[in-house]
Amino acid sequence: MHLLSFALCLAAFAALALATERQQHDLFGRPLPQAATHLLRIAGTGVMLLVLGVLLDWQGWGLGLVMFSGHTSLAAGVVFCAAIGLASARRRGKPAAISPASRRV
Amino acid sequence: MTTDNVKRERAQRPAGRGIRQSMSGLHIWAGLLMGWILYAMFLTGTVSYFKDELSQWMRPELAHQAELPDPALVAQRVADELGAIAPGSPQWSMRLPDGRTNSVYAFWRMAPGEAGAAPGRRAFGEAAFDPTTGGKVTARETLGGDFFYRFHFQFHYMPVLWGRWIAGAAAMFMLVAIVSGVITHKKIFIDFFTFRGGKGQRSWLDAHNALSVFGLPFHAMITYTGLVTLMALYMPWGERTAITTPAERQQLTAELNAFIQPGKPGGQTAPLASVADMVRQAQERWGQDAVGRVTATNSGDSTARVAVARGEAGRVSMSPQYMLFDGPTGRLLETREGVGAAAETRGVLYALHLGRFGDTVTRWLYFLVSLMGTAMVGTGLVMWTVKRRQKLSDPERPHIGFRIVERLNIASIAGLSVAMTAFLWGNRLLPAGMADRGAWEIHLFFAVWALTLAHAVLRPARTAWIEQLWAAAALLALLPVLNAVTTDRPLWHSVAEADWVFAGMDLMCLSLAALHAVLALRTARHRPKPRAVPAKARGGVIGGALEEGRS
Repeated sequence: MHLLSFALCLAAFAALALATERQQHDLFGRPLPQAATHLLRIAGTGVMLLVLGVLLDWQGWGLGLVMFSGHTSLAAGVVFCAAIGLASARRRGKPAAISPASRRV
Repeated sequence: MTTDNVKRERAQRPAGRGIRQSMSGLHIWAGLLMGWILYAMFLTGTVSYFKDELSQWMRPELAHQAELPDPALVAQRVADELGAIAPGSPQWSMRLPDGRTNSVYAFWRMAPGEAGAAPGRRAFGEAAFDPTTGGKVTARETLGGDFFYRFHFQFHYMPVLWGRWIAGAAAMFMLVAIVSGVITHKKIFIDFFTFRGGKGQRSWLDAHNALSVFGLPFHAMITYTGLVTLMALYMPWGERTAITTPAERQQLTAELNAFIQPGKPGGQTAPLASVADMVRQAQERWGQDAVGRVTATNSGDSTARVAVARGEAGRVSMSPQYMLFDGPTGRLLETREGVGAAAETRGVLYALHLGRFGDTVTRWLYFLVSLMGTAMVGTGLVMWTVKRRQKLSDPERPHIGFRIVERLNIASIAGLSVAMTAFLWGNRLLPAGMADRGAWEIHLFFAVWALTLAHAVLRPARTAWIEQLWAAAALLALLPVLNAVTTDRPLWHSVAEADWVFAGMDLMCLSLAALHAVLALRTARHRPKPRAVPAKARGGVIGGALEEGRS
């Protein structure tokens, strides 16, 4: 149940990350359409509420809320690091940009 | 005053500091002044979530506990032993072993007049007991993981109250830092996933923000609940006003913990009834593994009482739940399972801080998010120097304030890792029969820490960082080797036996060694950006190329 909750939190934060403009630029090179961004936000929030429900049902209010807090904090961190990793991998894959200053006159 | 006048006045007012600006200043000051103490509290607190495992690792003579021994039998054995070594003790209390401990920790109040018990003052004895024999453990004398735990809220080498006051002051500063940090963080949702790498101060800020915001529920909770655990010390006036008689004090104590207090001894000896039976009754009520603690008062006397208290696992509250038995007859006198609303609130907040209620996954979540909090404090401290280094008028000769912060950062952050690992090295290397061995492990910790401070002052700052991070990495990586050489519980043996305490410890050391190595490498590789060239010198290919040098 812990594994399922954590995996769902990862998915939720991944969706929320994809819904931010900066990440969209980093990963896709351009912002996604508004509708897609909205959908991602709703989906991400929805999945997180689902996880909350699962944990509350499994462990009750006291333990469930604490576990939810822990899973979300950690999942956010993992998605954050993954986004950094993806972005830097992408940058390394691109050929070096030619800049005006280094062009031969 | 008309709205127009108000607007005009506001426009004419000189641009002052908004609330974000003032909160930023407050955040920086609050964080900086207590940052080094807070980092130490955070790191030692983080490892304390595994203090029981650490204590096991530090007593390798005690065999791996594959199966939990019958708590009822353990309680009986240790009760008999305590009756033998502390006869006439007005109060003793033992913590029963669970899945994370393989020894029974017990303390007892010295009988009045006993050696060490000065008149009017209560003196305590404490020891760890073997659950299978009931006798004192025959393992090296060590404080174990409890050293880090106690350091976390009362430090060392000072009266306990001073330490707790300093910890409380630091926690109050932390609370101010959290609230001001949230207010000053302008785009807390928009910038939730932002990280701009390779940009110096900005990157440090992004890292600091991420660590703070992701763990915000935890950081706020841990700081506030930390203050609550010692609230009777920090804000005693309500209690002083309301609790005036000993009877009221006893009532208050009963709301807070299961340490039943002794009455006057009757003078007639009467052996204690079967403690095992009492524990079994509690097991019937709460569950096989749900019994946590057995406390007895006036054991061996006709007025003896025994309280069997529920364990902390599975419920988010430290408020006492216990069954009270008559000592000589074993008759159940009372079952206490509820406390008042205020006491229950305090019980929940205290439980949240200690995190003892959780299962293994929850404990790991506590540990990892707490580690994020530690890094939050660390990145904040480093960011202070990164930001101000850019503004130094002469980078070769920074002002004294900058130098102090810079050197203290190195010793409190990298140096603490070195010192904590040295503590574990001491545990393996100090001779078993040495006098005051436990105290000397601690002296070693502080000696090494002081050395890292000296090293940080004497070496160039960047070199000191790199050297101390590598030292920590080396000590951590070699600790499993030292363990394999000095004990008969090397990593491969622990894995084969499914001894996850020892195996986990070795693997954790290797992971932390890798972390420190990565930090050392990144610090070594980091080339500070060339200072911004004044506009008139820039221009042409050369000036432009300097800008392109950044990847």
